[in-house]
Amino acid sequence: MSGQAPGAGLETMQGHYAGSVSRFAAYVIDVAVSSGLFAAGLALVSYAAQVVTGHVIGWSRQDVLVAVLLAAWQLLYYGYSWASGGKTFGMAVLGVQVVRADGMIIDPWRGVLRALVFPLSFLLLGLGFAGILVQREHRALHDLIAGTAVVYSWDARSARLRFLSRSRPSAAGDAR
Amino acid sequence: MPILNGVDPLDGLRRAGKRVTDPLESLAQSVAQHVVELVVHAVDLNALLQQVDLDALLARVDVNEFLARVDVSALLDRVDVNEVLRRVDVDALVAETDLGAVIAQSSGGLATEALDAARSSAVGLDGFVDRWVGRVVRRRHPLPVAPPALLDAADHGGTQA
Repeated sequence: MSGQAPGAGLETMQGHYAGSVSRFAAYVIDVAVSSGLFAAGLALVSYAAQVVTGHVIGWSRQDVLVAVLLAAWQLLYYGYSWASGGKTFGMAVLGVQVVRADGMIIDPWRGVLRALVFPLSFLLLGLGFAGILVQREHRALHDLIAGTAVVYSWDARSARLRFLSRSRPSAAGDAR
Repeated sequence: MPILNGVDPLDGLRRAGKRVTDPLESLAQSVAQHVVELVVHAVDLNALLQQVDLDALLARVDVNEFLARVDVSALLDRVDVNEVLRRVDVDALVAETDLGAVIAQSSGGLATEALDAARSSAVGLDGFVDRWVGRVVRRRHPLPVAPPALLDAADHGGTQA
């Protein structure tokens, strides 16, 4: 068996504070997914309006209505995801999860509050996110306000078992 | 016979008999104990057990009936399962048994493999960045690794948050 198995040496990472790269990668995925869904929603509304009224509706980023709808959609996307399960789609992909600062499962109201104060971390050139790098518990400004933290939730041990089980047939093949 | 009301004429005989039988009984018990000890010492139990047909004996035992009487919960309460599992060489178990095939069949395919690889890489990069930030800001004390409620679980192999 060559190389290192995924999850090798990471068995104890589950429950640990998640680092900056995992969180940033999860955020990038979420931005892509939420923007894509929003664009798809607008396209669907445009198509429905065209079918009903016969007029083509154009959307612009400068449009106040679009900005308000986008803000509401982002609040719904992040707020619902964090309030219901502590993780967005991107976080689920990267195997990280929002929990209460003490490690217990997040309360729904904290999830909504986290989504509400999330934009504050972008202010002052994104200084609110610096906490992920330098704060003792890797907590950003919105984490500190909402009383939350982000931890690894994926089971590295299972990943390692999967890797070992996959490598087994090839190892048997090599022996022949 | 009103004068004998409440008096059993055989009571006296019974008491006399009991005075004789009690010592005899204890004497017989002590003799029997000595005899058994002598016989046990005299008999070669190993030779005797070799003559026992264990297969025939076990064939007469109703294992299901026996197991039905066992309180499995009480038995498991006395076993430290975590300690037992800690001693298991999971890598060898997966590599040498069909458990590996079962896991592989039950856990997706290429997508799961890619996900595992992506997550592992991200965790590796997290550690790399964290180490460098620690050097830049000159951290002298180790940081807490997990929230209090998850700390114990994390130390013992982790659990769902």
